[in-house]
Amino acid sequence: MAAGRLLVGLAWRNVRHRPWQALLLLLALSVATTTITLAMALVDVSDRAWDRVSQATHGFHVDAGDEISPDMSPAQRERVRAGLARLGDAPGVVAVGGPWREAQVDAEIDGVPLRLRVEVRDAGPAAVDQPLVTAGHWLDDREGVVLEDGLAAAAGLRPGDTVTIAGQRVPVRGAALTVNVGPYPTDQPAWVWVSPATAARLGTALDEGGYSLELRLADRDQAESFADAHPQVNDTWQETRSETATDIQDLAAVFGVLAIFVVVLTIGTAVILVAGRMAAQIRQVGTLKAVGVTPGQVTCVLLVEYLAVAFLATAVGLAAGSLLTPPLARVTDVLAVYGAQTPPITWPRAATAFAVTTAVVVLATVRPALRGVRRSTLRSLASNTRPPHRPGRLVRAITGLALPVPVWLGLRGANRRRGRFLANMLGLTVGITLLIMALALHTGVEKLRQQGLSIEAPDAISRAADIANQGRVSSLGFTVAALLIALALINATVAAVFAAQDHARNHAIMRTIGATPGQTVTAFLVAQLTACLLACGFGIPFGIVFYESIRGGILDPIGLSALTYLATILATLTLYGLIAAIPARLLARRPITPQLAYE
Amino acid sequence: MREAMLALLAKEPAHGYELRQRLAAALGPVGEVVNPGQVYVTLARLERAGLVRGVQVAQSAAPDKKVYEVTAAGREEVAAWLLDSSWPRVAQVEFHLKLVAAAGTGLADPVALIDAQRRELMRRLRDVQRLAESQIAGDDGDGVLLLEGSALRLQADIRWLEACETRWTGRTR
Amino acid sequence: MSTVVRAEGLRRHFRGDAEPVRAVDGVDLVVEQGEAVSIMGPSGCGKSTLLHLLGGLERPDAGTLIVGDQAVDRLSEASWARLRRRTIGFVFQAFHLVDQLTAVENVELPALLVGTSRRAARRRATELLDRLGVVDRAGHLPDRLSGGELQRVALARALVNEPLMVLADEPTGNLDSQATGEILQLFAELRDTGQTLVLVTHDARVAATAERLLSMRDGAIVEDTRLDGGLPQQTLLAQLAGWEA
Repeated sequence: MAAGRLLVGLAWRNVRHRPWQALLLLLALSVATTTITLAMALVDVSDRAWDRVSQATHGFHVDAGDEISPDMSPAQRERVRAGLARLGDAPGVVAVGGPWREAQVDAEIDGVPLRLRVEVRDAGPAAVDQPLVTAGHWLDDREGVVLEDGLAAAAGLRPGDTVTIAGQRVPVRGAALTVNVGPYPTDQPAWVWVSPATAARLGTALDEGGYSLELRLADRDQAESFADAHPQVNDTWQETRSETATDIQDLAAVFGVLAIFVVVLTIGTAVILVAGRMAAQIRQVGTLKAVGVTPGQVTCVLLVEYLAVAFLATAVGLAAGSLLTPPLARVTDVLAVYGAQTPPITWPRAATAFAVTTAVVVLATVRPALRGVRRSTLRSLASNTRPPHRPGRLVRAITGLALPVPVWLGLRGANRRRGRFLANMLGLTVGITLLIMALALHTGVEKLRQQGLSIEAPDAISRAADIANQGRVSSLGFTVAALLIALALINATVAAVFAAQDHARNHAIMRTIGATPGQTVTAFLVAQLTACLLACGFGIPFGIVFYESIRGGILDPIGLSALTYLATILATLTLYGLIAAIPARLLARRPITPQLAYE
Repeated sequence: MREAMLALLAKEPAHGYELRQRLAAALGPVGEVVNPGQVYVTLARLERAGLVRGVQVAQSAAPDKKVYEVTAAGREEVAAWLLDSSWPRVAQVEFHLKLVAAAGTGLADPVALIDAQRRELMRRLRDVQRLAESQIAGDDGDGVLLLEGSALRLQADIRWLEACETRWTGRTR
Repeated sequence: MSTVVRAEGLRRHFRGDAEPVRAVDGVDLVVEQGEAVSIMGPSGCGKSTLLHLLGGLERPDAGTLIVGDQAVDRLSEASWARLRRRTIGFVFQAFHLVDQLTAVENVELPALLVGTSRRAARRRATELLDRLGVVDRAGHLPDRLSGGELQRVALARALVNEPLMVLADEPTGNLDSQATGEILQLFAELRDTGQTLVLVTHDARVAATAERLLSMRDGAIVEDTRLDGGLPQQTLLAQLAGWEA
């Protein structure tokens, strides 16, 4: 219908007329969606990674075991094995895995000695705990060992390589995942599975160990009571799961809450962006109403513009987020191992990201649009600002000081248009809060890394793996911090540009009465830097409070030194001064007369 | 009316009926109001004043008709009329006829006439305003009101002249 | 008598859709001290652009311009601004007062820029507002003033530094007839004090306050007439009376 095409055409023309506004909104929303996508992926990974692997491997519900000693006779060993196997007949059991021989042995990988837990398995598939192959293939009748995935990754072993187990060289057949134990080096010693042929060759090396039995119950929630009823049971699936997954669940919680904060703060930036457009929009609203366009249609024009941007931003954010998820999800070996099973994008995640972005846009747009729509047409056409406040005592005080004219003009201008000044200040506060959170997050994560490094590792391989892990934690912290800083920069640019546009008319007027461009820019910068300083005063405490609320139990309380705060304030003032100076100078260089004309 | 007819005859001699037609064409809808008899009376007066000369022209299929042409004195009168720019006597209709006559006879450039008239009116306006200013100082309310009226009329006339200039500039280009 | 403005061959082009628009196309102009000059012409003839060029709000593409005794066409933006403070007062159709400053603060602003002390500037501003009849509105913000009052404040601002010339661009454009009359009176008084004036207008009444009338068309000055030396008062009155009758 014609009206619809007209509205879309208008929306498109608006965007083309001021493309950078749409671009800034796109950037801000993209950063937000990237953070959201990343957080959701991490939450997803941690939440269900373990469950996914458990499902794929027919993971255990209860795990039982019994020991044997080297001095036992084969008959005695057989009695132990049978006794354990009888557990499989207990009521409530639907599937049995094992009993399997297991023992801890000395091994050597590339000359590095380490302990391994060896379990003897056949080709299977086992009814319970059939490990999920991630490289190569499972055991067969030949000799061979399948390594736990974490060990394979840490030691850099691939199918075809050899490891020395109890002095015997054994070929590596593949790598696999199980939920029975966490990945190496989080859980040590590393698990490996050997074929019966290899077990025969290893012989007495396996004598000191035991049998392992894994059961699946009809109702897995009965695992606890089953464990209480049968003393041979060592672990329930809930215990193992929480041990393995707790760390990453905490981390996921941190990022989840962080994502929420980022969304809220992005709304702040978006509101400023949109409200800043309102001055121009309101006049357009008035014109449209005057030619008979209904208020509803007018709001539609605005929404179309911004929703298009939101859609683009979601796409960008999802793409960036899914690109970033695999490298960053390897933040702990657990995530690295289990998380590899998680797809980078899922429909629910995409839908959530889009819903959030749309909500942000709608919230930011609708209220000022409605306000503009409700104003009378004439008022909209005639004016574009609310009148400034009357001068007060503060003004007289400022006037009393012997300041140079541009400085005093800037301060008084700020005081007179308090609404604008406060909105600007609020915007900057958002940015500084983000900045403080970024710094605190990075420092906290670094500390975590240092703590991780100080734990003694039993062998060179696990030490190397630990270092790599901590490095990944560090990168994650760095990436998130970088995202937050990017958002803060966008926010500052938006605030500066809109403030400069706001002042453009007054600049032009002052130049007609003989103020130099330098003087008008100075007046503007004085007001901006005052806003920035006040924003620091609010933003730093807010940043601290927000960080404290998201750090969970993992990260330390905020540990930024007083010097850091001071440096932040100075750097922010300088950087924002630079950011604000650019649009101000550009506007000051423009010829005077077009700016004086009506828009 | 008298001078306008003289000017039209100066462009090309004509008999009474032709002249009436030319006048009507120049005046447009306003011409409907012109009394037909007036044309012949004025022609007679012009002839008595020695500004036009009547010539009998023989026609083959019709009785003789009298064709009028301007004399030298008549031509001088036309020139003086065209160049006269005193306003209170010259009304809109007459000024319009002046322009038509000027364009038709080629005796003067209509745009130049308009400009000259405008200059005159501006001077008049200035004088009126200065008078009003001095009256305001003397605080004579009613007199000022009258002068204000004159000023507004002059302003209106100047606006009309500006419109004329725009139209006639296009025409002569 | 010294020359306030001397312009030679001023040219200013704008980039148009098809070809450049010649807003001001080769204008020569000399304005002496104490002269009141008005510039009239149809829309788009370039009269506003010419005024902006004279006041330094636009830079000429070609030609020379001397204001006072200073050649200004080569001046930097900042130097022009400093010169403008002392020598030129602008009055605009849309008033262009700073929203956040009160009337008196608006007026004293150029004085402060020049370096006048706060107190002296305030005093001078108040005097001017008094002279122009709006001193009771001195403490009000522009959004509380009527059109006529706004233009008077703007005029006061233009006069605060005793400028060499006052440039007015359609000063009565946004005013009703009564306010127009008041402003006309003010300009007449200003002219009588010997202030050099250049008025751009399409209102004949405003133009008639000057004694010299320039007509512009298509960026060039096509006519330069003197409006004084009119009829003696008696003759004028007689004519007017005859006209009415």
